[in-house]
Amino acid sequence: MLNQSTGHPALTDEDLASTILSDLKRVTREYATAATESVCPETRQMFTQLMNTTLTMQGELYTVMQQNNMYNASSPALKQEITKQLQQYQQTQQKTSQFIQQTQMANSQIPANPAGQMTTPAYQ
Amino acid sequence: MMQAMTAKELEYVADSMSNEDLLMKQCSIAAASITNVQLQQACSHMVDVHTQHYSTLLNALQQHQAMAPTQPQS
Repeated sequence: MLNQSTGHPALTDEDLASTILSDLKRVTREYATAATESVCPETRQMFTQLMNTTLTMQGELYTVMQQNNMYNASSPALKQEITKQLQQYQQTQQKTSQFIQQTQMANSQIPANPAGQMTTPAYQ
Repeated sequence: MMQAMTAKELEYVADSMSNEDLLMKQCSIAAASITNVQLQQACSHMVDVHTQHYSTLLNALQQHQAMAPTQPQS
């Protein structure tokens, strides 16, 4: 595609938007990393806010691109694939729930503390 | 009371300013050359947001400059 005013080759609307979209994705990730690595609470909050506004822009740009047929979203997952994952993770949920119950049971068998104080946890 | 900025935080702030600067220029080029009106408006809006982000980061540096130690800490 040639630029109408200069006659030089130019990037299409789709190319320009795609470049910005991928940079917004990358910058969102970098802000998330920066927030998790921050020591100063104010710095963490700043990175968190910058991450949120960048994520919002990325979502807005994606929506505009999708409305203009500039973005091919991934095809829908098949029902059988969803069923398979659903069954597998329902089993996982059950096993983990049993694991947590056993852990709590083991904890409750620890003898009361030497001072003899009642230390009933708030969640019981 | 605000804490001093760590060396790592400074690196992230500096890298983020490079990112925001590049995005500002990219969005401004895109806003000028894109023909689709909806996309053009989105790009113009993004120029403003990245400009604000850059100022936020620059302000954070200015605030932390005052309390930063002049000697390496143990």
